[in-house]
Amino acid sequence: MSEPRLNRRTFLKVLGAGATAAAGLRTLRRASASEATGDSPHRWAMVIDQSKCTGCGYCTLACRAHNDVAPGMEWNTVLESGQVAGEQVYLPRPCMHCEQAPCVDVCPVKASVHRADGIVMMDYDRCIGCRYCEVACPYAARSFNWEAFTGRNPAVPRWGEPEVARRPRGVVEKCTFCVHRIDRGLSLGLTPGVDPNATPACVVACPTGARTFGDLADSESNVSKLLAGHSWFRLREDLGTAPRVYYLPPRAEVTP
Amino acid sequence: MTALTQRLAGYRPSRFQLWVGALAGVTAIGLVAGIIVFARGLVVTNLNDLVPWGLWITIDLSAIAMSAGAFTLCAAVYLLGLKKYQPLARTATFIGLIGYSMALLTLLLDIGRPDRFWHGFVYWNPHSVLWEVTMCVALYFGVLMLETAPIFGRTAWLRSRWPSLAGRLQSVHHIAPYLAIAGLGLSMLHQSSLGATYGVLKARPIWYRPDLSVLFIVSAMAGGIALTVLVTMLAARHWSKIKVRDDILDRAAWFVGWVLVAYLYFRFWDAFAMTYTYDPGRTEGLRFITNGPLSFNFWVGEILFGAVIPILILLRERSRRNPVLRMLALGLVVAGIVAYRWDTTMAGQLVVVSYLPQELATRYTTYVPSLIEIASGLGVVAYGMLAVTLGIRYLGVVDHTPEPEHEAVAERVPAQA
Repeated sequence: MSEPRLNRRTFLKVLGAGATAAAGLRTLRRASASEATGDSPHRWAMVIDQSKCTGCGYCTLACRAHNDVAPGMEWNTVLESGQVAGEQVYLPRPCMHCEQAPCVDVCPVKASVHRADGIVMMDYDRCIGCRYCEVACPYAARSFNWEAFTGRNPAVPRWGEPEVARRPRGVVEKCTFCVHRIDRGLSLGLTPGVDPNATPACVVACPTGARTFGDLADSESNVSKLLAGHSWFRLREDLGTAPRVYYLPPRAEVTP
Repeated sequence: MTALTQRLAGYRPSRFQLWVGALAGVTAIGLVAGIIVFARGLVVTNLNDLVPWGLWITIDLSAIAMSAGAFTLCAAVYLLGLKKYQPLARTATFIGLIGYSMALLTLLLDIGRPDRFWHGFVYWNPHSVLWEVTMCVALYFGVLMLETAPIFGRTAWLRSRWPSLAGRLQSVHHIAPYLAIAGLGLSMLHQSSLGATYGVLKARPIWYRPDLSVLFIVSAMAGGIALTVLVTMLAARHWSKIKVRDDILDRAAWFVGWVLVAYLYFRFWDAFAMTYTYDPGRTEGLRFITNGPLSFNFWVGEILFGAVIPILILLRERSRRNPVLRMLALGLVVAGIVAYRWDTTMAGQLVVVSYLPQELATRYTTYVPSLIEIASGLGVVAYGMLAVTLGIRYLGVVDHTPEPEHEAVAERVPAQA
């Protein structure tokens, strides 16, 4: 038996150097992994005024119609959230589009990604359906397609027409801030949050105007002004996820 | 004709045939269940958006943990120079190969798009622990194939048919030390990362702690060696012609006892630290394990039968020398570690932390696997047991007699090159 050309010590050295280099590269990437790449002049955000929300659920229905969301799945859910001065308070919950999104961090195939404008997007063609993002999301904002959605959509046509393709069985989906409406609107020179055709369907459908959508990068936008003039909170601020969905708390003196 | 019926009527299958037949039957049922899963999708499971991971992920984690004997024993033999454990390392390597194939099969069942299993190798997210696990498991599966190559090369069937291929497969053992280093590195990475898969999730307070990665790898070392020794002892008891060296089995079992002591030590501080100060979600999660629905699993399955009793048996020389007691202890270790994987998986998901602003209320949910999940899961387990049984019977996976073949191969291969 001939001696191996590579002795154990050299091999260990090479292996150690390789491992160190790999670990270093990983750490470097880590700092920016969950943050957006590229540039965008926009930072999209949503403001939801709890004092105006009546819990009617029109937002859920409009979302279901426009995004062709299967029955039994809700991208945009309306929850009961305590009482103020004897009045029931509601909390609508879309995807938070977190600036430090746990789902983007954990996705093994980068099927959950940050757009430069802050929208957390799903790549349905890339998702392998491991559901790690669902386990990681603190807001239960994600839904898995346990089966194919083949029937008719009960919210169509009354609440709108589907504007995006149905997702296949076996992938995870969630609220997109109606990214297709935003992108199309921008290309037509419209302003998302101002022109209804460029604004998320839930915002347009809300009968009490509890939802506002707009650009945080523009200090004159409706969302920027609202946030400047009110006290606001975000869900599970303690987690450090920095959601792009802001809530204006319910006030006792305002009756919807 | 009558002679044939008489022979059939008088046919009594051996215990081996019954065992193989039963395992093949369960595997076949599991195969059917698996086909149903692929055909109808995950709607046939009892998983849901609150509990997206269940029985399959537990089998997956357990199979990988039970394969940890391979990296531990190979490191002992080829890196620490404990040469006498070489035959045990060989058994462990084969069990590892089968264990990882079980894990890959379960993962294939579990992902919603099995047709995209290869996406992890093409679309990298190095920031994701699950991506790291995917890569390490795949690479390590390759290492295990190389490490088990000499086992396949040794078979008389292959040697008589393709002697040069058999020689090549056997000669892989020359690079065994390098494979052991690669295996150690990859295993250290992904065995602990499996714990980190849960441990990095801030949304699940009972999981969110660095200890999980340490606990996963230490428990895997105990479970992997325990299963290897147990399988070896069972094989030697069933086939009297299989010769094993009881001194190395005894020593390995003793080592399992000490690994369990280390595991219990980490486990104690990990749990004890969590009892201080109310922490929303985490405190409920801990109560869920120690006083709640998982408490029997925890106190009896994991701690008493999974660690304390095995430690008492394995560290006391008299009881460890008793083969039945030793096998019992090793079996309990394996079961206890499966229970640990199950309890961990469940505690993080069945305790649901609210994100509503008023209160950090915690809700509880339940999960019972569906029949299809159980059938396909059992099918994977039966496949693994069947493969190990056949490996012992036909590949000589358990064999502690000194091997002269390697010398012969070493002389022959250069001559052919």
